[in-house]
Amino acid sequence: MALTRTVLDALTRILGPDGVISSPEGRLVYECDMQTFYKGAPDVVALPESAEQVEAIVRLCRRERVPVVPRGSGSGLIGGAMAPAGGVMVGLNRMDRILEVDLPNRCATVQPGLVNLWLTRAVEDRGYFFAPDPSSQMVSSIGGNVSTNAGGPHCLKYGITVNHVLGLELVTGAGERVQLGGKVADRPGYDLTGTAVGAEGTFGLVTAITVRLLHAAEAVKTVLASFPSIEHASEAVSGIIAAGIIPAALEMLDALMIQAIEAGIGAGYPKGAAAVLLIELDGPAAEVEAQAERAAAICRERGALDVRVARDEAERALLWKGRKEAAGALGRLAPMYMLQDAVVPRSKLPAIMREILAISERHGVQIANVFHAGDGNLHPLILYDDRHPEQVERARAANEEVLHACIAMGGTVTGEHGVGLDKAQKLPLQYADADLNFMYRLRGVFDPDRLMNPGKLLPSHPACGEGFRPARPRLPDGAWI
Amino acid sequence: MPVAGRSVGGALAAILGREGLREDDAARAAASVDGEVPRWVARPATPEQVSGVLALAHDAGLAVAPRGSGSALELGRPPARVDVVLDLGGLDRVLDWSPDDLTVSVQAGVSAGALATRLAGRRQLLPLDPPGAATRTLGGLTATAASGPLRARYGTLRDLLLGVRFVQADGVVTWGGARVVKSVSGYDVPKLMIGALGTLGVLVELTLRLHPTPEAERTWLVRVRDGAEAQAVVDALLDSAIQPNRVELLNGAALGAAGLPAGAAAVAVSVGTVAAAVRAQGEALAALARRVGGEAVPQPADFWDRYGRAGALGGGVRLRVATLVTGLAAALGELDAAAADLAPGVAARVTGCAAVGALHVALAPIAPEAAAALVERLRGFVAPAGGSVVVEAGPRALREALDPWGPVAPGPLGLMRALKDEFDPARVLNPGRFVGGL
Ligand SMILES: Cc1cc2nc3c(=O)[nH]c(=O)nc-3n(C[C@H](O)[C@H](O)[C@H](O)COP(=O)(O)OP(=O)(O)OC[C@H]3O[C@@H](n4cnc5c(N)ncnc54)[C@H](O)[C@@H]3O)c2cc1C
Repeated sequence: MALTRTVLDALTRILGPDGVISSPEGRLVYECDMQTFYKGAPDVVALPESAEQVEAIVRLCRRERVPVVPRGSGSGLIGGAMAPAGGVMVGLNRMDRILEVDLPNRCATVQPGLVNLWLTRAVEDRGYFFAPDPSSQMVSSIGGNVSTNAGGPHCLKYGITVNHVLGLELVTGAGERVQLGGKVADRPGYDLTGTAVGAEGTFGLVTAITVRLLHAAEAVKTVLASFPSIEHASEAVSGIIAAGIIPAALEMLDALMIQAIEAGIGAGYPKGAAAVLLIELDGPAAEVEAQAERAAAICRERGALDVRVARDEAERALLWKGRKEAAGALGRLAPMYMLQDAVVPRSKLPAIMREILAISERHGVQIANVFHAGDGNLHPLILYDDRHPEQVERARAANEEVLHACIAMGGTVTGEHGVGLDKAQKLPLQYADADLNFMYRLRGVFDPDRLMNPGKLLPSHPACGEGFRPARPRLPDGAWI
Repeated sequence: MPVAGRSVGGALAAILGREGLREDDAARAAASVDGEVPRWVARPATPEQVSGVLALAHDAGLAVAPRGSGSALELGRPPARVDVVLDLGGLDRVLDWSPDDLTVSVQAGVSAGALATRLAGRRQLLPLDPPGAATRTLGGLTATAASGPLRARYGTLRDLLLGVRFVQADGVVTWGGARVVKSVSGYDVPKLMIGALGTLGVLVELTLRLHPTPEAERTWLVRVRDGAEAQAVVDALLDSAIQPNRVELLNGAALGAAGLPAGAAAVAVSVGTVAAAVRAQGEALAALARRVGGEAVPQPADFWDRYGRAGALGGGVRLRVATLVTGLAAALGELDAAAADLAPGVAARVTGCAAVGALHVALAPIAPEAAAALVERLRGFVAPAGGSVVVEAGPRALREALDPWGPVAPGPLGLMRALKDEFDPARVLNPGRFVGGL
């Protein structure tokens, strides 16, 4: 779709020449997010510096019926911040200011382009932090985190992004700038803030965010335990939860992952370890002390080969090192991987890991696993070499089967990365027509012309079509005239 | 299409069976909402029956008022109309409890008390404890966005509700969210249903996140001389490493009602964790209290039962006041001043979660005009910082004299109206009771 001169000129009037990128080379940078399968460059990239400009852009695009694609840092893994139907991409990284820090009320208001970690950096010397911690927190924007409702290793205890969002300023698809929620909790009316978090840009653009800040914990303790099998490690996870302990993080690595890490950085995992569990506890010192001991004891009782408790910050960093560099270490095993983000109930971990192993054998592909064991959020990494098309095919088939297996065990298609283009067609696995239709209509309330990030989050499915009505119950016959 | 009453009754009976439908005067009167007597009282036994009733109501142009335990029917504006009261107490099954996953799925008519009793067997808890929760239904608690002292640690339903099954105004059964603790597939539909008073759909099933019951728990009452000292205690506590699970503010009248030693104000704090940490935090709290001039007095285990009674005031008016945490003392002061000016001699008990600025005010029976003036004055005081005052309960005359929800800004209100127009254009569900007369 080629943009008309009118649109380009109007954008330049709104943003100045510095705020508009229309050259083919310039636009190419924006053709995909970190899920590089999906490509689609926008016709033009707009770089606003204020909410007023965002509002003007949306109004213009609505008048001209041009799609609008928001983009934060482009670190998404779902084909979200890319433009399959062309149109105007709105890059929000110039709107990266902290507007207010209000520590006595434990909140802050920021612009959407602010990088996640910068917020914690701005308040940590005063003993506070912003809890959502996606592994991408050094690059991803808070606007992107809000729009994907991002999780992170520590969301087991602290909750995901939506649990920390108090208010939003949103420019809706109708071009209206509205303030939803705010510093004070419990507003009368529908929880529009909570509903708009995770909308992946399909409700409009988030132009400011009020988030909760938490007081840093008094103490933190990290335990690393290795096990002879995934079953043993999963038993330990169940044991820890059953003991009433909710760790801040509870992460697991499987045998192939361990092998890759040992071959690479060498984290010193013991020989024969087929699963590694990383347990982090934080809170009041006495609680952390007692719970770390208890968790370590549970690991030993469940057959751990080795249990280490970090004694200081340096050792703690060392224990995390393997986990943090896991994905990178896979480079030694294969040039490419597909990353899955499905969820199963935690109690199904041993079953799903057996199933994933079977799938990997069936398709002759290697699958490494590193995942958020505490909440059952899997990240199977399916290895392949993109120079061999049939390997790509096999990886794709395995990836698909893993997803279906998770759903069959009562899970969901995405735990934290989001839907985007990648999973849009998968939602019918999890939702009935009536459910999809409800979501389709919900989107229309915020974005009547369906121009905001089109093609994302919702499937092109009969239930999402105009005029579709899910079956209604049949009334008793002849009850009245 | 005009519908003859008897034939609608016949259709309802066909859907609900004999046991599920009451048309007699006594049952209808007992189910009245703000004095509006319904023509039928439907008590479905299955979600399918709920669906059947709503489809019928939709096509016949009837207004339906969903009802849980009936404890919060005074929340909101008087209804525009009530033809059918839909009593969801019959949907009372716990469907699936998975202790290993810390999740539970229940039908909407299960009471918080019944669930708590089940969960206690495995030392798990749903940390949702507004006054009277034991007998209230989980569907009703969700529809009214109820919360209690434990929100200081565990948050609100927004943090606990994972999935929801509801019946749309036209009878279509719909599911939103997930049965696992972490999911971002599709829109967060459960959020839309919390506090919506059933105006977008009737809740029939909820999937909730559970928490382990702490191994040990202890409560202290931090006694202070005035509101300013209470504020200082709250500010210092929240800026400390102490991890309380309750931080409740009480004014003098509430202290009296709970049978606690007299005083101008106090902050009740509880800590729940392993025994050693409870001890350590208790010591830290005592030191903190001394620093600001107060005193932390340990309380017996039944403290929170007595506390619940402090908020209950038969026949009066109950308000929900939301303010900035740093504005607690000022709000207390304004309430006292307003009560002295507008309703001299009327006791006003204040309790509520100081950690988030969510206060409950219980007023003894009071003339509607005086109550309305008091609410307006409080609104004027808290609104500039984004606060709100909602009339949670009170006589119909009060809720006719002023909007019990208070104003909602035009931007969000426009979206709320559009939501209602989309999902209940025929105004079947609780018409007129919600914000903006939705
Ligand atoms: C190495 C790595 C590790 C990762 N780890 C995690 C993890 O642990 N947990 C996790 O959840 N994710 C993780 N991710 C995925 C990604 O970082 C998150 O989804 C993140 O929230 C995206 O932020 P972003 O600013 O890059 O958004 P983008 O990728 O630019 O955009 C994401 C989506 O949000 C929309 N959007 C962005 N900004 C706005 C706005 N202001 N208004 C409206 N819509 C907007 C976009 O249109 C797009 O649909 C990881 C990614 C990488 C590369």
